[in-house]
Amino acid sequence: MSLKSSILKKSPWVFHLNTGSCNACDIEILDALTPYHDAERFGVKLVVSPRHADVILLTGPITVESLPKVINAIEAAPRPRIIVALGSCGSGGGIWHDTYSTIGGVNGLLKILKEKGIEVDAVYHVPGCPIRPEALLYAIALIKGIVSKKREMKIYKAE
Amino acid sequence: MSIKPVKLIVIAGKKGRVTVKYPFQEPIVTPEFRGEVEIDPAKCIGCGACVRACPPNALELLESEKEIILRYFVGRCIFCWRCVDVCPVSAIKGTKNFELATDKFTDLYTLVVHTRATCELCGTPAETVRMRRYITEKVPISEEYITTCPTCRKKQFAEKIAMRKVGISELKK
Repeated sequence: MSLKSSILKKSPWVFHLNTGSCNACDIEILDALTPYHDAERFGVKLVVSPRHADVILLTGPITVESLPKVINAIEAAPRPRIIVALGSCGSGGGIWHDTYSTIGGVNGLLKILKEKGIEVDAVYHVPGCPIRPEALLYAIALIKGIVSKKREMKIYKAE
Repeated sequence: MSIKPVKLIVIAGKKGRVTVKYPFQEPIVTPEFRGEVEIDPAKCIGCGACVRACPPNALELLESEKEIILRYFVGRCIFCWRCVDVCPVSAIKGTKNFELATDKFTDLYTLVVHTRATCELCGTPAETVRMRRYITEKVPISEEYITTCPTCRKKQFAEKIAMRKVGISELKK
């Protein structure tokens, strides 16, 4: 079962997973679900259990305290599971990237998940501090294949 | 107490459609909005002022033997635009771009590769070539000593002092 065939046809149900964030990104997720932005146009539905979810919206820099619960929640989600790392904290560790109490964003988490044998099918990074609701809509549209990717790695040679 | 469905339809009809058609239209951003920053490689001198100002170390200076690389990792950037304020040559410019979502981690990097100059006497790697040019433009007197590293400069200075004290003939013995 490829990712494309399974996800593009159906509505991505999302599970909101806070891993120690400052709640700014959480509020923006709720903002994206209001009638003004209306993420439900794309079939997005906020579910209460990771067992019902296709997409896990991960906010926060993943503190050491929350790590076992995060692993449990991701393990509970059925395959194919997609992680969308929201905000600067989620995608790169943010301002907490080298603190003793965090593991530095989703990259640290993926290493730990690989050690434990939990597979993740796709990881999407959505930078922003906090993210705009439009940025989240853009990420969902990217998952569904409505819009194309704009960002690419740039290497400049300056003399 | 509850509003009847007919009344509700009338209210909704008056209000009209409020939902924005975002992915299919231009995003609405305020003039004060801060998005990702853009580094102009034609202007950047690789001084590292932005690296010191950056709170989450999204801008980093990677040093190797022959190159100095300014790395901008947008996945960690908090869009404070401090780097825009401190840049001495205004090479960093703020944009309103926020559509940065990607499925590949490496897409979030921007690299500016600078060549490194070396000390004329001992050959240890020093600051970037452009940085030297910038300093000589700003402080013309530095042209005399900019090609050497601080250690060599100290040595030269000490030799000159010694020469004055004891004389050339004594020093050569």
